[in-house]
Order: sequence, then structure tokens, then C-alpha cells
Amino acid sequence: MSDGLAHAPRPTDRGAWRLVAARDFTVRLRDKGFVISTAITLTVLSVFILLRAFGDSDDALVYRVGLVGAASASALQQSLERAASGRGAELEVTTFDDVAQAESALTRGDVEAVLEGDDTIVGDTDVSASLRQIVQDAVVRERIRAGLDDAGVTPGEIDALLDQPSIEVRTLEPQDPNRDENAGIAFIAVLLAYGQLFGYGVWVATGVIEEKASRVVEILLSAIRPRQLLAGKIAGIGLLGIVQLVFIATFAIGLSFVTGALDLPGIAIGTALVVLAWFVMGFAFYAGLFAVSGSLVSRMEELQNAMVPINLIIFISFFISIGALESPDSTLSVAASMVPFSSALAMPVRIALGSATAAQIATSIVLLVVGTALLVPLSARLYAGAVLRTGTRVKLRDAWRAAESTDIAAGG
Amino acid sequence: MLELTGLRRTFGDIVALDDVSFRVPAGQIVGFVGPNGAGKTTAMRIVLGVLTPDAGEVRWRGDPVDARVRRRFGYMPEERGLYPKMRVLDQLTYLGRLHGLTKADARRRASETLEVLGVAGRAGDRVEALSLGNQQRVQLAAALAHEPDLLVLDEPFSGLDPVGVEALSGVLRRQASNHGVPVVFSSHQLDLVERLCDAIVLIDDGRVVAQGTIEELRAGRERRLFLVHVRGGTDGWHGSIPGAELVEVTPEGLVLELDDDVDEQRVLDLARASGDVMRFGPVRPTLAELFREVVGA
Repeated sequence: MSDGLAHAPRPTDRGAWRLVAARDFTVRLRDKGFVISTAITLTVLSVFILLRAFGDSDDALVYRVGLVGAASASALQQSLERAASGRGAELEVTTFDDVAQAESALTRGDVEAVLEGDDTIVGDTDVSASLRQIVQDAVVRERIRAGLDDAGVTPGEIDALLDQPSIEVRTLEPQDPNRDENAGIAFIAVLLAYGQLFGYGVWVATGVIEEKASRVVEILLSAIRPRQLLAGKIAGIGLLGIVQLVFIATFAIGLSFVTGALDLPGIAIGTALVVLAWFVMGFAFYAGLFAVSGSLVSRMEELQNAMVPINLIIFISFFISIGALESPDSTLSVAASMVPFSSALAMPVRIALGSATAAQIATSIVLLVVGTALLVPLSARLYAGAVLRTGTRVKLRDAWRAAESTDIAAGG
Repeated sequence: MLELTGLRRTFGDIVALDDVSFRVPAGQIVGFVGPNGAGKTTAMRIVLGVLTPDAGEVRWRGDPVDARVRRRFGYMPEERGLYPKMRVLDQLTYLGRLHGLTKADARRRASETLEVLGVAGRAGDRVEALSLGNQQRVQLAAALAHEPDLLVLDEPFSGLDPVGVEALSGVLRRQASNHGVPVVFSSHQLDLVERLCDAIVLIDDGRVVAQGTIEELRAGRERRLFLVHVRGGTDGWHGSIPGAELVEVTPEGLVLELDDDVDEQRVLDLARASGDVMRFGPVRPTLAELFREVVGA
């Protein structure tokens, strides 16, 4: 009788970490949580971009203004329109025969303000400051025009005199003309970088606990070494983070471009690449630490406690980076963009704002890579020492000692 | 052949293993028995490289075991564990690949193993949806599916119904006899161990206290017990024999313990003089009895 358990030739010795990575990647790709979090991020970004594209665009301001009596004079109307266009607004003018008619239109909301004569603006509850300014401009303009006209200056010459000149702006320090736009991009960038780093780090930690709590880790470690399991898990989850980041960035930049929310998508693309690069490095740096905090505990409920130190560091880095949006050149911002613990969040901000020098960027990268190279073996050893110990929370010292004599932790 | 030599392992002040040595020859099934906490799981974990010993080593076919060799071992840990949300076949395929099989081989082998263990119908279900007994079978499949060179099973029979016990016994026998795979498993079901195993290793308090075939274990026991059933005999006939002591009165007869210098033929003569001897012979202790004797429980 055959049981079908015949023996196959010896197996190929392929990189087991890749198998682990593939599983961790696909399992989470199909995870509801992943789909939902991606959808939420895309929604928030879309709202942000659409608001920017259509919401507060001050070049499309239209004021509906009613004119009564002397104000209806065509000369004043013309001045009003010129003054408005000088301030980047448009006027929709309605003329009324008397004040009563005008004010009832105002009450109905047909117009926003009524200009009575050339010295009174009436609003329903309020008159916007910029409309007031436009009217003032127009009245002054009209007075000057009348004066020049009396002095015999031709209308053409008057127009030339009164036309708003375009003033060239120059600063002693070179200034980025797109600073506002870049700050917006940088803000989104730091939010995304924080969300990715933290979210995917937590995923590494919960992934470790899952295997520990379900005890499958003992089966896994009878087949592969702790390092391979750890490396695979970090690679798989990190790759998913990269894929999601690329997807979100492509979507956001595409939407911005289509809606015209950004004038220069090139900068956004550059920033996205910077965030991506620093996410990869920052994740490599932090993921091992997240894995260690996961390996120290046996149940999900204990994870929050175990992660407090890392959470705190990332949260502080995030706040410093938000501060760097305002003052990218402050000592704190510069330092934070170099130190490995915070550079993954702070450096992209400074690069997006054009404040980081090439030397600073290079230093930041070198420190982050060196820091990672130092941290990973440390994390791997602690992980190997702790991951099989179930029950009470494992002390770091015990984890370190447990792995001391282990060939698996030493890579042998 | 698997060899454990001089394994020692401590956890803090607790000595879990103290100079543990035994062998599992190719094609043999070795039962690893001992009370709870004796060190069985620790020893098995060391074989699988999940734990490292403080001293001693594990050798496979004469050479120290490394990660590459271990990848060809099959292991069922005492703490059962699988990914609860992963589907059975996917999970076994994944584990097979971790053990070095190609994707196609791993999948085919996983299906076949599920078939053998009678859970092929659940291949597409998530593990958490299975009954405990079926989870147990899948766990076994995880140890078997990569055609291991060695099987190390920690309490593989616990939680199985009689049908499952038979199926697993058959699988282990075939693994050993058809494929020459050394099998070592721990169990508290001593009748099963006695029936299934070629050799037994008895461990107590971190030390191997007895090992060998069941016959060798029996031969090595200190007590000489004889069962005697005399029909119509006079009570107390045995009381006159110096060096013979009544141990137990059973429905089958009296169990007498004889000192080494007592000739059992003389006891038989006395019994015959007393009445019709229906039964006379040495008591073959069960493994359970040997176990109780050795560990003093």
C-alpha cells in the first residue's frame, strides 16, 4: 500500500526570506485594513487637492454690486471695474433706480453690497474688506480721472497714467517663487511619511505578534532562521509600503495636474521621490525596532505598551518636522534632518522647501544608512532571543542573553 | 541516524536537560516518554534548532546538524501553531516551500498529505474554521508535507480520535519502514508507544533513565514478578516460601515477587502441591508499569 509519501530529490536552497516577504506582502495586500486605509488616504488627499484647485482661488472672485444714483454714472462703473481687475476680482454690476429697490435686492441676496452715491457702501450685515478696498480705489481713481480731465489730459493719457504697473519683485536672498506651493507639498509629504513609517512599522510589530500568538513561529523557525523570517517580514511589509506610497503619490500628483491645483507638478514628483527614498531608509531603520517590540510580548493588547518608546520618538520627530515647515533652517530642523531617528521625516520637508544643502542631504543619508547597519543586527539578535518566549513580557536583557549562544542569531 | 550526545540545557536555575544522549536509527520509531516537565520538549526543540543546548550536540548521519540539514526535518511542536486565517492548502504549500520544495511540488505534496490524513475536503478552508481534531491533522500534514528526512513529533497523538490515531500510526510506520525515516515522538499514551515503537527512551527530570527496546527495558527491571493461578488450592500456600512475597491479588491470579535466589520451579512445585495450576508465568509488565516503576510515581 502506498501512502503517497514518496521522497523527492533534495530541495533547492533558495532565499527563504523571499518566500516570507511574498507571503507578508500578498496577505496584507488582500487585507481589508489595507484597502480601507488606502481609500481614506486617497479621499483626504483628493479633498485637499480639490479645495486647493477650486475652493480658495482668489483670482476667480466675483462681487455682485448694486449701484444707485450718482454711483450709476458710467465713468464710476468703469473705474470700479478697473479697480476690481487691478485686485484680481470681477464685478457683476446691477443699477437700481432708487435706494429702496437696491436695498430690497440686498436683503434678498441678489447683490452683496450697494454703492449709494460715491461715499456710502451698504451691506446686508457686513461688507467684505476687499470689496471696500475696491470701491475706495475706484472712487479715488474716478476723482483723479476727473481732475486730469479738467486739466485737459486726454482720456488715453489718463488711462496710461492710472493703469497699474506691473512691479518686478527682487530679493537680496534668492527666494523660491513657488514657496507656498512647495510648503503645501511638503506638508502633505511629511503627513504621508509619518503615516507610512508609523503604520507600516506597527504592521511589522503586529505581524510578529501574530506569529508568536498563534505559535506558528516555532514551525517557521524549525524550517528557517530567525533572521530570514525577520528580513522577509520587513521586506514584504516595506515593499507594500512603497507600492502604496507610489500609488498614492501618482494619484495625488495626477489629480493635482488634471485639476490645476499645482502649477509645477515637477516639484511634487521630486518631493514624492524624496519621501519615498527616505521612507525606504527610515523604514529599514525603524522596522527592526518595531519587530523587537512585537517579539517581546505575546498578545496584541500588550503591544501598545511595548511600542511606547518608538511611538514617542517618531511622534516627536513628526512634530519637529511640522515645525520645519515654518522654519526649515532653524538649528533644530537642521539637526533633526540629520539624526537618523528623525531624518526620515524632517529631511524630506527641508528638501521640498529647498532649504537642505547637498552636504546635509549626503550626511543625512550616510548617518541613516550607518545607523541602520548598526541597528539591524542588534534588532535581529533581540528578536531571535525573544520571539520563542511566550507568556510574560520578555525583558530586553533576557532576550539579548537568550540569543547569546545561538548560532541562528549570530547568522551561522 | 539521529544522535543526541551529552545535551545539557538550563533555564536560569532549572536544569531542563542533563547529559541526554540517545539515538534514532534509520527506519526506526523511537518513543520518547517521561512525566510532564521531564525535558522532552526541550530536547526536541534542540534537535530542531529552535533552542540551542548549553553543551552537547545533535548529529545527523554522523555530522553536526546545520540549518540546511534541519530544513529537511519535519517537526510538530507541542504548542500547535498555524496561521489561523490562512487557507489549509495555501498554508501547507507555503511551509513546504520554506522547507525547500518548489511551488508545484509543495502544492502537490500538500494535497497528497491532506488526502492521506483524511482532511483533503478542507483544503480550501481557513485553519481557524476547522475542528481541533482536523487542525491537528493539518498540523501533522505540516510536519510531513515536505517529505522530511527525519520526523520529530511532540505529542502527535494527543487530541486525535481512534480513527486519527490509526491513520497517524500507519503514516509513521510507513515513513519508517518504506522510506527509512527515523521517527521520534513523545507521548503519554504508553500503550500506543509500546505497540508502535521499536525503541523507547525514558526521560525523567532531565536525565535519560532507561532506553532500549521494550524487551530490553523489561529485562532490565529489578523485580521478578510471577503470576500464579491455582484452582481449588489452599489459601496461603505461598506463605511458606522464603523469598516470595505476595504483591497483588488479581482476577487472573496472584502476583508474587520472587527474590533473585528463589527458583521459580520450586514455587511451581509448591503451587501444584496446593491445587490445579491453571496459570503460571513471569509477568510481562506493560510500558506503563515500567514507567511507573522507573519514575517512582
